[in-house]
Amino acid sequence: MSGKAIFFVVMGFSLLFMIAGQFYNGVSGRMTDNYIDYFEQTTAHNIAISGANMAANELFFDADWNAGYNNIDYQNGKLNVTIINSDPKRHQKQIYSVGTYNNITSEVIVTLSPSKFSRFAYFSVSEGAGDIWWINQDTVWGPFHTQDYLKASNHPSFMMSATTLKGLKYYKNEKTDRPIIHGKYDQGVDLALPKDGVIQVKNAALDKSLDGGGYYLAGADAGSVKLTNPKGKSQTVLRDEVYMDFQGEYLYYKYGYKYDTGKKDIKGNIIYATAYFDSVKLYLPDAAPNGVIFVNNGNIHMKGTISGQYTIGCNGNTESIYGNVYLDDDIVYQNNPKTNPGALDLLGIVAKNGVKVTENAANNNDINIHASIYIENGGFGAENYNTRPVSGKINLLGGIQQALRGAVGTFSGTTITHGFSKQYRYDDRLMVLYPPFFPGTGGYEIVSWYE
Amino acid sequence: MGFSTLIDILGSTIIGGILLIIVLRLNDTATEKTTNYGGELSLQQNLVTIAQIMEYDFRKMGYCKDWLKFPDPKLSIISAGKDNIKFFADIDNNGIMDTVSYYIGDFLTSTPNPRDRYFYRKLNNQPPAAINLGVTQFFLRYFDTFGDTLTAPVSDPTLINSYELNIQVETVYAYDEQYSSAFWKQIRLLARNLRNR
Repeated sequence: MSGKAIFFVVMGFSLLFMIAGQFYNGVSGRMTDNYIDYFEQTTAHNIAISGANMAANELFFDADWNAGYNNIDYQNGKLNVTIINSDPKRHQKQIYSVGTYNNITSEVIVTLSPSKFSRFAYFSVSEGAGDIWWINQDTVWGPFHTQDYLKASNHPSFMMSATTLKGLKYYKNEKTDRPIIHGKYDQGVDLALPKDGVIQVKNAALDKSLDGGGYYLAGADAGSVKLTNPKGKSQTVLRDEVYMDFQGEYLYYKYGYKYDTGKKDIKGNIIYATAYFDSVKLYLPDAAPNGVIFVNNGNIHMKGTISGQYTIGCNGNTESIYGNVYLDDDIVYQNNPKTNPGALDLLGIVAKNGVKVTENAANNNDINIHASIYIENGGFGAENYNTRPVSGKINLLGGIQQALRGAVGTFSGTTITHGFSKQYRYDDRLMVLYPPFFPGTGGYEIVSWYE
Repeated sequence: MGFSTLIDILGSTIIGGILLIIVLRLNDTATEKTTNYGGELSLQQNLVTIAQIMEYDFRKMGYCKDWLKFPDPKLSIISAGKDNIKFFADIDNNGIMDTVSYYIGDFLTSTPNPRDRYFYRKLNNQPPAAINLGVTQFFLRYFDTFGDTLTAPVSDPTLINSYELNIQVETVYAYDEQYSSAFWKQIRLLARNLRNR
């Protein structure tokens, strides 16, 4: 009898333990399943992200890379990456990365767009050998890059990304000088100005297959002409100084040349004056269908009102006497984006050696410039910046990308003694628009990341 | 009935009593463990659910299918507080930017846990979706591009370069008021689109 009772007791307890054990095992199993599900999803996602990063890296080194990855073993899962030309008109690419882990898939889509220098509010190769610092009154409203040090004094502000090749340099120390950066900051970013940025623009002007080509003037290469100057003397001149007056959709241009007035200044130097050829009128949508106007081996003197999207360029081969753009007066958009955010007028100025604000009466009381300005060898500055009279402000709407930081004036304390003060404002549209055939970095930038 | 019979009865009563105590103790322990295990399972599921919802949204911070409509991702974060955040994201990937808010609300009175609170996710102008999954803590930390902590609420959210998400979940019900808790932390989360361009 007692043997049976003990048997039942043992069996009863065993049954209870089995039921309880099964329950606890079930709970543990579900918790583990839960953890594994999350782990698998995370792993699949990490594989997809890794694929996107690897592909972006390949594209960074080779903009034409389109091989992708096909079913690669990665983190015990599979990785597939495809490169898609998502928007041929804008030359955009997409990296489509799919990570698979234990039959769970995750995708990451990265959109890349060709990177143009025009998107920089400020770009320089050299910040100047002198003691030029970004100070607390300086605000850069768009993307910033320098191949030099970013030299900061007393917390200058950078309203978008700031990147440098060499890093930060503080006037005193980090605490008193560190810049305020509202976007990302990266150092060690090597983004040099190309050697052929201006040539790219020249080719676009000459090549009719590129949206119908542009308008090309040969400058000094067109040879010399013999004429009678205003003093009635015979003179041989080059057509290397081009004066452009933009009036909406029309461009009036003429060649100018210097002639001896027959007078001398008090120091005995000959006084020259400028005479002009007859003006040529162009209807730009027909004359420069792709929006490029280019002067080879010459200088451009420009002013006026722009309607449409154009890039004005000039080259100077190896001679720095050419390849300069002189801003003779305001050069502004007909439809001002500051008052009309939907405005589409856009101007790029591309010069081999320099862009200068001319010293003349028109520029003695402010100058308004609407453009993104690219200078491959030199910089943006004011003509005779240290001797010209106090000339007001340079009101720039756009950006400057230059090899060397140029000067626009001199000051004593907070007072301008010669030249201009700066009022530079970034044209936000340059984040998404660029002037036609504006020099590119040769690479792509990530504009969108979906995960 | 002899003496030995009495001893048998007394002995069996003691043994039976011990067995009964063991059974009662077993029952009590089993109830406790069942409640705790069940609660922890539920807790873990809740945390995974919250983490997945938040990861889905936060990964899209600053993303727009049509990037031309939102070219400057530093404007993604609209407001950034200690226990709330509001940002732009194309949540449904349709090329239209949505505004997403997360914030923690009042303490729940309908559950025994004195610490659990409503946790809200708000999309555009829709009524906020109250998530009642035992959230007891939700707080964020923000960092600038140099990795320094920004004081919350951040007066200028364009300075935010990365952030840290912290969320703590506790069981809503517990045995003997022994609430289980779990913590989910995303350290220095870099929303990819914040660093574009």
